[in-house]
Amino acid sequence: MKKWMGLALTSVMLLSILAGCSSNNDKNGAVSSPGASSPAAEGSSPNEENGKPVELTFWGDWGGEGQKQFETMVDAFNKSQDKIRVKYVLQQDMITKFLTAATSGGSPDIMFWDRWRTNLYAPKNVLHPIDEYMERDGISTSDYYDEALKELSHGGKLYGLPLTVDARALFYNKKLFAEANLQPPTTWEELATAAKKLTKWNGNKLEVAGFSFADAGLFNMYFQQAGGQMLNAANDATDFNNDKGLSVLNLWDRMLNQDKVYKLGFEQGLGEGQDAFVTGKLAMQYTGPWMLSTYKKYGKDLEFGIVPPPVGPNGDKGSVMGGFGLVIGEGSKHKEEAWQFVKWWLANKENYLMWSKMSLNIPGYKPALDDPFFKDDPAWKPFLDTLEFAKIRPQHPGYSVMEGDGLVPNLQLFLEGKQDAAATLKKAQEQGDRLLKDNAETK
Amino acid sequence: MLRSKLNGHQARMGYLFITPTILLFAVFTVIPVVMAFYLSFTNYDVLSRMDWVGLDNYRKLIADDLLWQTFRNVLYYTVIFVPLNILTSLLVALLLNRASKGVKVFRTLNYLPTLTSAVAAATVWLWVLHPEFGLLNGFLSYFGITGPAWLSQSGTAMTSVIMVTLWQAIGSNMVIYLAGLQGVPDYLYESAKLDGANAVQRFRFITWPQLRPTTFLVSTMSIIGALQLFDQAFVLTQGGPANATKTPVYLIYQQGFNQLQMGYASSQAFVLALAILIFSLINMKLSKAEESIV
Repeated sequence: MKKWMGLALTSVMLLSILAGCSSNNDKNGAVSSPGASSPAAEGSSPNEENGKPVELTFWGDWGGEGQKQFETMVDAFNKSQDKIRVKYVLQQDMITKFLTAATSGGSPDIMFWDRWRTNLYAPKNVLHPIDEYMERDGISTSDYYDEALKELSHGGKLYGLPLTVDARALFYNKKLFAEANLQPPTTWEELATAAKKLTKWNGNKLEVAGFSFADAGLFNMYFQQAGGQMLNAANDATDFNNDKGLSVLNLWDRMLNQDKVYKLGFEQGLGEGQDAFVTGKLAMQYTGPWMLSTYKKYGKDLEFGIVPPPVGPNGDKGSVMGGFGLVIGEGSKHKEEAWQFVKWWLANKENYLMWSKMSLNIPGYKPALDDPFFKDDPAWKPFLDTLEFAKIRPQHPGYSVMEGDGLVPNLQLFLEGKQDAAATLKKAQEQGDRLLKDNAETK
Repeated sequence: MLRSKLNGHQARMGYLFITPTILLFAVFTVIPVVMAFYLSFTNYDVLSRMDWVGLDNYRKLIADDLLWQTFRNVLYYTVIFVPLNILTSLLVALLLNRASKGVKVFRTLNYLPTLTSAVAAATVWLWVLHPEFGLLNGFLSYFGITGPAWLSQSGTAMTSVIMVTLWQAIGSNMVIYLAGLQGVPDYLYESAKLDGANAVQRFRFITWPQLRPTTFLVSTMSIIGALQLFDQAFVLTQGGPANATKTPVYLIYQQGFNQLQMGYASSQAFVLALAILIFSLINMKLSKAEESIV
């Protein structure tokens, strides 16, 4: 009897765990249904009552400041005409909700979109291609950054327009550079020498780190500077187990293990206010325009400069472009109106500028870049220069997994000195290729 | 006649009372589990397809090195965490199981970490474990020891996660043990004392066997919790460095929701469930849960 009870107890517990995993589905379905009901309910209204404006939902996962900025744009659009009413809905867990909403009729009309997701979602037919609208309304693709549009495309179709573009550049502390009598580096060699000079140790304690090695995920960027491409020409396997990959690891080894310009974990867990770069404990790092407002806010005494990333041994430039866009849901019942909103925002210099100036994001729309706000401000120039050569991540649905689970763990072992360079590249290649294969698009 | 009528009435009422629970259990537990089991044999991607692929997912799983690495990680975690958890929470409970003044304050203080949200606690621990400015390494430096970069080295990352989760888990298990200790009848101790048993013997022959059901509960719950480790490990280390703290739940979530391979993720979830079942059965054998306690 007791035995039976014990078994029963165990199996009940077991079941409840499984339910914990799988009930996510149900939960999301339940949560998104209120949102789901509104477009459906209103879907029929414009046909029945012609005077009433069409209501659109715009999903995003930016709260706080970002939400206010989105709402300002939405209000401006709503005021500009009386046929369409857009409402911004903050979805903290947007992608998970979209998964259930997309197929249950509750798809948002417009979505704030992390561009790299396009090649995972576009093949599933949940995003609406905009090529026809672009052609009809005479909007030229050459007004946008090629790479950003490429990232929003799949199978020859374009699925949205870029809202922001960004790329990492080299941030440096001007005060520390002046003390050491240094110029910002332009090559790997200069980067390594400068970092060595800027580093200050006190016994076993690192006081000022010359350069940050906090993120091994930046390998892609260094690898471009070494003249490499992360994936092969067929876009189905990694291509970093070669001399170029080795030259990146040699640079890292020299700076981290021989010159000791950094200590692993040095920046971990420091919040915005204690950021090592803000407090002058870090002299140089790669980061992007998204940090500008933080550094201006917390770094009262911080004088920093920005230069494009130093070039590799053969003079190759490299940085990774990222950013967001707006896309239209295939499940939307008002795609035409949704397009009107996207076009108003992202294909109109004035409106685009209103957004970019307010949110301090670099526009992906070139006419907006001609504005003195971006063109004449020296703070933007290094980023604009970097964006000229920055490349998006390879368009493979398994790329981020390959990087996160295959490549980066091996690089971390290398940085810890637990694995030599040759073994690191070999293992990263083997594991990375398998992850790419397992996560390849199947249709 | 009257008796059977009464029984029938009682039975009907009994079923009526358990109906809501059974219904909820069926809808939110049984059906999703059966669904997930079915999905583990499909290529379900939430959005566009759900075709039967037979054992493909399970075949793929066998060759999935990363999955087995995450299992090794949680096994290591479980083997260290569960015994430590039982030991420390029992010790704390024994200390706080007396009627002296102020004991309630200490009980509350020991329970507080449990009330803190896992993510908030992990954020504070990030600070404590910081290699240069952290409390822990600062303390070690008084003794001339240069502490490691706890969370940034593959060797110490899991130890740090164990430390943090232990700190959070002890409170609730202490409360369960306290309840168990209060349920041990005083006459047993009394007669043992009369027979000349010392404190250690009283613990060994009365307290510990009497607590067997409590220990079974605590150990089962912590085994299940340990194998499902996710949030603390994720906030503290994001699964790194070098995959040392990546866990099956993290991988299942990533495969299912980020990579849209819900079918494959379901099969991984079933392997995890199987592992939990096996561990729970071993635990049952070890703690002799089926034997009566007196």
